[in-house]
Amino acid sequence: MEYAIETFSLTKIFSDWWGRTKVYAVDNLDLQVRPNEVFGLLGPNGSGKTTTLKMLLGLLHPTKGKALLLGGDGTDPKINCRIGFLPEESYLYRYLNARETLDFYGRLFGLPSKVRKMRIEALLDMVGLKAVANRAVGTFSKGMARRIGLAQALINDPDLLILDEPTTGLDPIGTRQIKDLVLKLAERGKTILLCSHLLADVEDVCDRIAILYGGKIQTQGHVRELLQQTNKRQITTDAISDTAVEKIKQLVREEDADCEVTSPMDKLETFFIRTVTAAQQQAQPTSGAVSTTKIGDFLTQQKAVESILDKLVSAPIAKQGSVETPKLEKVAAVESPGPKADEQLLSKLTRSAEPSEFKAVTKKEKVETEPVESQTRRQEQVRENILDRLTDGSGTKSQDKDKTEKPQAGDSGDA
Amino acid sequence: MHSIRAVAINTIKQALRIKVAVVFTILLLVLLPALGFTTTGDETLKGRLQTFVSYALSLTSFLLCLLTIIVSIYTITSDIEQKQIYTVITKPIRRFQILTGKLLGVIVLDVILLCLFSAIIYTITIYMPKFIKVSESELIEADNEFFTARASLTVPEVDVTKEVAKRYTELDRRGELPANVPREEIIAQLTQQAQLAKRAAGAGQVLLWEFNNVEPLAESMFIRFKYDVSANPPDSQVWGKWFVGDYQFFKYGTQSKTPIYDEMHKHSVRNFHEIEIPAEVVPEHGHLAVAFMNVPSLNSVGIIFPPDGLEVLYKADSFTGNFVRTVFLVLFRLIFLACLGILAASFLSFPVAILFCFVIFFTASFSGFVLDSFSFLSENVGAVYSYTIKWLIQLMPQFDKFNPSKFLVSAKLLSWTDVVKVAIYPLWWGFEGDMIFVKAALLFLLALLIFSFREIARITV
Repeated sequence: MEYAIETFSLTKIFSDWWGRTKVYAVDNLDLQVRPNEVFGLLGPNGSGKTTTLKMLLGLLHPTKGKALLLGGDGTDPKINCRIGFLPEESYLYRYLNARETLDFYGRLFGLPSKVRKMRIEALLDMVGLKAVANRAVGTFSKGMARRIGLAQALINDPDLLILDEPTTGLDPIGTRQIKDLVLKLAERGKTILLCSHLLADVEDVCDRIAILYGGKIQTQGHVRELLQQTNKRQITTDAISDTAVEKIKQLVREEDADCEVTSPMDKLETFFIRTVTAAQQQAQPTSGAVSTTKIGDFLTQQKAVESILDKLVSAPIAKQGSVETPKLEKVAAVESPGPKADEQLLSKLTRSAEPSEFKAVTKKEKVETEPVESQTRRQEQVRENILDRLTDGSGTKSQDKDKTEKPQAGDSGDA
Repeated sequence: MHSIRAVAINTIKQALRIKVAVVFTILLLVLLPALGFTTTGDETLKGRLQTFVSYALSLTSFLLCLLTIIVSIYTITSDIEQKQIYTVITKPIRRFQILTGKLLGVIVLDVILLCLFSAIIYTITIYMPKFIKVSESELIEADNEFFTARASLTVPEVDVTKEVAKRYTELDRRGELPANVPREEIIAQLTQQAQLAKRAAGAGQVLLWEFNNVEPLAESMFIRFKYDVSANPPDSQVWGKWFVGDYQFFKYGTQSKTPIYDEMHKHSVRNFHEIEIPAEVVPEHGHLAVAFMNVPSLNSVGIIFPPDGLEVLYKADSFTGNFVRTVFLVLFRLIFLACLGILAASFLSFPVAILFCFVIFFTASFSGFVLDSFSFLSENVGAVYSYTIKWLIQLMPQFDKFNPSKFLVSAKLLSWTDVVKVAIYPLWWGFEGDMIFVKAALLFLLALLIFSFREIARITV
């Protein structure tokens, strides 16, 4: 199976003027990001996240090793066509207005003018900047510039989206929107590499993460597996009477365990969004960005990574595909007929035997802060993983859906 | 191609919206008409026109050169320093396409501005005679000597090597060679003597020059000349009898179909003069003879024409054509400077690149002076100079040698061949070119090479 991003002992050494080694910014990095996965690259400041991205995209030359994006070189225009990139800050031409900015990037992709115009309007709508589309980008606040930056990264309907700290400078609503967007894009089959040190963001959206420190991967794996406290259970109920609570406590005590009963707190994020949404409903004026929950219709379902099962399961979603590029759609559909999907199944089978997953698991032992897990539990997990992959591609799908529903359930007042 | 176009358009927008181009444009829009009203020259219409065209074109050229350097450097260094290039380079575009787009943008901007300003200069020049009250004779003078493009035919140095060698062996045989003088010096002296003899006419003697491919467009043509004399005549003036006509008639005495010009003139010595000759004397085959006779009854001194002392000038094209071609010379400069700026920006930061380009620009503007002074010094420096600095200086374009206003002021024809020569012909092997396109292309290739292999991102850990 082809990884969306794969690096082979990628190394970047920064040397001084005399050529003496100064810093290992990235040190023998072996990273694999699977297609249709939201992968989080975490680490404190200066841990080599951005340097890794720059090497992936050819902005820096690796000292050693190599990186493959979608099976090719990150500087190859054919590959660039399928990539969207949002750098750590939105570096935009200050003298262009929002619409011109998107038009410029659209032209770089050689999009025909009809498609370009349609996408620009859809994206402006999506990031909530339609009202200020004719203002020079130089006058935008940081959050508004960030939104344009994101729109810019999406204009080519990319298969692989690389986001470097996408939520910096955004208000909580913007942050939430970006997170929702990432999940929606993942649902549509995009691969997303997210680079951040804002853990809350990563926790909400990522399937897998890797934690970088000193240019090395310290640990990597599925978010749920890494975070789940297997020695504790949590039960959430509606407001029930004290007698019922007592009964439950009694039951727990019989199991020889401790139990704590509190009312759950709202997350501050949820509370904030609820407040602002209420204000918005009263139509109070603002000069800033307007929040929307739309997603550009042109952002297509990715056909190439669909398995047979996927197709069967997600047939209704596939119909939502792009409106303005039906021809392309058809071609893509023809390109991935039965046999190819079979190949993918095969590759999934073979890949599960690969040691990469094991490596990641064994690495955990080296990190002190990780809770120690029993050997049998770990084996169970691995077996589960393999089973997951053997049985369905929809396994990951349903997982995604779980995730999308989770945050939405939290902010019932938002919609 | 679409990506090159996108980058080019963006570059033009940048130049206009960061207001660099706007400032220069406004400056010129104010200065050019002001110049038109204030220049007086030597108070004649011709002088006025000459001064205006010369100043206006030089000013436009100079300001556009500065603009080109600034814009071409800024558009690249700001992209790199403000990191917009991160979002551009990760799109399906090759690095050479980015630079090509930038270059194209700068050149298109230059072409637009140059067209605008040269149109203004041209209009003011053409309408100037109508706004100023001048006498009929001044109008005719301006028409003949300014609103025209005159081809200039000069007399080449006569090859006298054989003659000199013969003379040397003769002297040697007779044993009349001076002792203790090296051979080279004697040869040089003999050559000088022999060439002087070819240009000198004693009393009663006749000098004959031939010119090929003479095709005057107007009704009259001009002979421009300067007399040197062997001894000063009392009133510093000499008489000359001039004949102009079919060369065949003078050489072989064949019947001439065209009339022969034959007139006496009195002119002061050691100054340039022009005599007007009807163009009908030029034969169909364009093979023209000019003869000068030192009239024995009126002069008592020998008359010598200095090496650049005789020219035949005739109208070969219109002022408009000449003007358009001189504008091309300006455009070549701008293209060269755009390439230079892009090269500098491909590896230098904004201030350093600006400094680098200004040094080159000013050196090129005074290249004649620089070359001369180095040649003068080189007598002491010798080999080091001729193998290093000389080549480096010759790599620079020679802006002063192909100064556009020089052609317009003296109404000298700048043919398309000349324009092409400046663009691609080399300076050596007898071609009087400047290879400015070749030089520009080399600079641009170097820029592509550097830009393709450099790391775009700055190191941040």
